[in-house]
Amino acid sequence: MTDIHTLAGAYALNAIDDLERARFDRHLAECPSCAAEVAELTETMAALSDATAEPPPARLRAAVLARAAATPQTQRAVRRQTFRLPAVRWQRLVAAAATVIALGGAGAVGYEIANHPAPLNNTRVSAEDKQIAAVVTAPDARLNSATATGGGKVTVVSSHSLNEAVAVLAKLPSPGADHAYQLWVISDGTPRSAGVLAVDSTGATELVSGIRGAQLIGVTREPAGGSRTPTQPLVAQLSLT
Amino acid sequence: MTPEQERTLQHTRQPAPPDLDNLMCRVAAGDQNAFATVYDAIAPRAYGLIRRIVRDPALAEEVTQDALVEVWRTAARFDKERGSAVGWILAIAHHRAVDCVRAEQAAADRERRTSTASVPFDEVVAEVTARLEQQAVRRCLQALTSIQREAILLAYYGGLTYRDVAERLGAALPTVKTRMRDGLIRLRDCLGVTLG
Repeated sequence: MTDIHTLAGAYALNAIDDLERARFDRHLAECPSCAAEVAELTETMAALSDATAEPPPARLRAAVLARAAATPQTQRAVRRQTFRLPAVRWQRLVAAAATVIALGGAGAVGYEIANHPAPLNNTRVSAEDKQIAAVVTAPDARLNSATATGGGKVTVVSSHSLNEAVAVLAKLPSPGADHAYQLWVISDGTPRSAGVLAVDSTGATELVSGIRGAQLIGVTREPAGGSRTPTQPLVAQLSLT
Repeated sequence: MTPEQERTLQHTRQPAPPDLDNLMCRVAAGDQNAFATVYDAIAPRAYGLIRRIVRDPALAEEVTQDALVEVWRTAARFDKERGSAVGWILAIAHHRAVDCVRAEQAAADRERRTSTASVPFDEVVAEVTARLEQQAVRRCLQALTSIQREAILLAYYGGLTYRDVAERLGAALPTVKTRMRDGLIRLRDCLGVTLG
């Protein structure tokens, strides 16, 4: 248990100042068990509200309903505030991607992102990091998430304006010693390879370029090194539109 | 009576509430009728909580209005996988009320150039515990240590930060922080609050 974790109670009680709240919010994005604890503690205080309930003045109902009718609603969207990244660092980006997934309601609690395959060199990773950050914070970022056949989760954040998507594969079943997962961009039924994971890898975060005109991102299990076209059925497919 | 039995009794006594979690999905889709149903189900709890915190009835009415319109506006953010609609709505109500008392307190402090707290702490704790008619809630609160109970009630109903609470109780900061957390955990377990 980290020191900041002891703030969970004070956080659930709103007994912290704005600065600590912001700090703890960042912590929550990276700590699913803390988020679960805070949710339960918040719920606990709500359970006390029956005891203090009292009817409001009758006029309040009409006032609230009238104001609501005149108030536009915010749409369910990727919330920008979640992506205030202090630095463009790989771990942070993965955490941001995890937050995107959490906000998408894709089973936030207990979620973990598998390790990214070892980078080839720092320059490449740095450029890719920036690109991933750009995609997840794009104003037109869209999120889709699906459970893969056999378990695990695939989430795609796509931006048509950037012509790119970020695919997060997590907790997939092991593809086996001589096999690997492969990503596909599918346009009008024609798949194009968008990258192969390391042999036996069960999770990764991949930048996928050239999504314009495509309808789907798919994942298959292929022989190590990948295939030119899918040789196995899709274990997951996600809409890009 | 075991806690289990008491919990079961408590549940059978309560009338079936409307399915707020699913209603919130309709509210998120802009359904004003669904929002009216949510209002009827939650307004007394939201207003009662807010009035306890801001104390002035007229102000409480105003804050309740703001909080419930915020519920309407941001309904798409509600995610039933992450908690109940009641919990989510009351968290918004609580936040609004606390913001309101802190702003008032800050204004009062600026005027007086002192930071004497205005909420009479004994009153808050006594009043809230006296009104807790539900046996289970009262018994669970009483099962806490006095510092746990006071820290929680003072923060929640007094709108105080844990720093203020520490000052008020003459306790060390880390102690107050820890007691808030372990007290809430004990309360959660005693009331049988679970998610999912």
